Amino acid sequence: MHLSWGPEEVAFREELCAFLDEYVPPEFERGYDYAGEGEGEDGADIVPGWAREWQATLFDHGWMIPGYPPELGGRNCTLVQTLVYLEELASRRVIRSFHYPGYGIVSPSLLEFGNEEQKKLVPAAARGDTIWCIGMSEPNAGSDLAGLQTRAMLDGDRFIVNGQKVWTSYASVAQKCFVYVRTDPDVPKHKGISLLIVDMDTPGIEVRPLRHLSRSAGFAEVFFTDVEVPVENLVGGLNDGWRITQGSLAHERAGLWVEGVCRLDSTVQGLIGIAERYGRHTDAGVRRDIAAFYEQALSLRALGHKGFSSFAQGSSAPEHSYMKMATSEIGKAAAEYGMELQGAYGPVMDPERGEDNGRWVNYFFLSFANTIAGGSSEIQRNIIAQRVLGLPRS
Amino acid sequence: MDFSLTDEQVMLRDTARALLAKECPPILVREHVDDPTVALPLWSQLKDFAALGDGPCTDLCLFIEETGYAAAPGPFFATTALFAPLLAAIDHELLPAVLAGDATGTVAVAGADGQWTPNDEPVKTFVPEADRVDFVAIVGADARVRVVPSADVSTRHVRMIDFSRRFFEVDTAAVAGAPAAELDPATLTNLTARATAALAAEMVGTSRRLFEMALAYAKERIQFDVPIGSFQAIQHRLAECSLDVERATAAAQYAAMTLDAEDPERFHAVHVAKAAAGNAATRSAKDSIQIHGGIGYTWEHDLHLYLRRAVGSEYWLGTTSWHHDRLADLLMPI
Repeated sequence: MHLSWGPEEVAFREELCAFLDEYVPPEFERGYDYAGEGEGEDGADIVPGWAREWQATLFDHGWMIPGYPPELGGRNCTLVQTLVYLEELASRRVIRSFHYPGYGIVSPSLLEFGNEEQKKLVPAAARGDTIWCIGMSEPNAGSDLAGLQTRAMLDGDRFIVNGQKVWTSYASVAQKCFVYVRTDPDVPKHKGISLLIVDMDTPGIEVRPLRHLSRSAGFAEVFFTDVEVPVENLVGGLNDGWRITQGSLAHERAGLWVEGVCRLDSTVQGLIGIAERYGRHTDAGVRRDIAAFYEQALSLRALGHKGFSSFAQGSSAPEHSYMKMATSEIGKAAAEYGMELQGAYGPVMDPERGEDNGRWVNYFFLSFANTIAGGSSEIQRNIIAQRVLGLPRS
Repeated sequence: MDFSLTDEQVMLRDTARALLAKECPPILVREHVDDPTVALPLWSQLKDFAALGDGPCTDLCLFIEETGYAAAPGPFFATTALFAPLLAAIDHELLPAVLAGDATGTVAVAGADGQWTPNDEPVKTFVPEADRVDFVAIVGADARVRVVPSADVSTRHVRMIDFSRRFFEVDTAAVAGAPAAELDPATLTNLTARATAALAAEMVGTSRRLFEMALAYAKERIQFDVPIGSFQAIQHRLAECSLDVERATAAAQYAAMTLDAEDPERFHAVHVAKAAAGNAATRSAKDSIQIHGGIGYTWEHDLHLYLRRAVGSEYWLGTTSWHHDRLADLLMPI
């Protein structure tokens, strides 16, 4: 057990920092949490031009997915180097891409499960040249994802797709979609699901932007009516789609917690700033509350690193099951506490009157999404209880 | 930062775990309630590890975590986490004997207010194991240290919630003239941080014991024809509790690493560790009782032995709230 990184990681970080110092777009100086502000109500602005250029720059310099080889936007980094990379970016509040599905889900899934033809889609997905969306959730399949009902019937050399997806992020700007469909309704639900690649301009697809409760249009409903999909767009085997739903960057799975922890850190630093600006920092109760948030943030960062250390050594790392639930739940409480500290000004969104140019309220809204998306906190607790602690299913 | 254990650390932890499972079963902790002498054979085993008192904090904490798991009674914590580091800091001649396990000691700091801060009051409070160690190091005003045989001071046992760690009032008036060594106040701050990190590690062990007892019971206790652990209400309570134990484990190890590295953030880390450990200890104690139901509320069940250790530790060397307040002083200086 020791605190510092080795000389190799230090040198790696220096090289990364030199790149970031030179290339990070000035738009990030305001912090990526603010990106939501620019989202048009039709969803058209959710991937701004400067963000596309930034992702391409990362790819071309081998800094997009450092664990990948250069032709896929990386530099064959080790696990530890990847963690250094994720921490450095998150601590600068810089993100790689404004549309994670392409590099975060589609690329690794196609590399693992796709055929040779499908793997050719990966560089454009990772570079951000193709924007992807993921058609998973449906009106009646949220936490119970395997209950999805969008139907695909095999008809000669094509599938005919009918159904509806919802909460589909980036659908309004995407060129392609990973669509999970039911191809066999007569077997247990996990065993009748397949994965299709669908071009979003295929006739029969209708995208209706769906506004977040913050009023921005970050996601959408996607309706499929007799949509024809060539049979060669099937990824993996027929009825073998469920195991692909677990796909994410294997190189980065051990560092998925980094963003959540850094977001929490930055919220806690925000609390300290608000307390000082509003004269609350001398209040004994406020001081104790903020220290308690800091305790959570620092101990969760330590837990993330502890899990990473066992993962890097080849052990399973149950620590990671805790991180998503904990950082999102504490983050939600901290965002609300930040409003509380502002008294009557807590709910002000007027940029000339509200805290952080009126954007703190957006953190409050965003914190609700974090305890739902990607597996709700309740599902995370089920997973911890059953898979980590070995309790029997109810 | 790298949390992975070296082969030597794995061996140290496994050795501690096996030794304490054998030498410190619940029955010993229970018998110790009325007869502290039953802990003597345990010390004769643990004394072989007294040298940890003057080594890396990470190693000491790995071992001490296991003593917390067993709620081990006796002078190990006082000797290795309090006395030995203090002797090392003042370059005291007794140190070799202490590290060899041939002499034991404790440290007296707090006065009437119970705070671990130097003062010139003759009566010291919350001195652990003062009647069964060979020496007492008395820290007075300006961090002057007198090391005297425990036989030269008078002690009064103060009965507390935890029977496994015994606290004493120590009247030091009789040794007021004993020669004193000068201790740099900054060094005392470091020593206190080290002791606090060790206590956090110990509490992590106790929390783990309490949590494991609750988890095992949830799997075996049948109600409504199924194990109670299949109910979501129980599952979610255990999931949250295990998160707090895991979080505290990482925080305590992190604090030990920052102390070994003399990292500038080490005091932040120690306050976080003790607060997180306090949270884990009291939560796992309360949740474990709740999940055990009526059987957990009996004297016959062993649960209260560990609950007592957990709650007693929360109040020693600063409560969770006290550490939050000190942390706030670092984060928001006024």
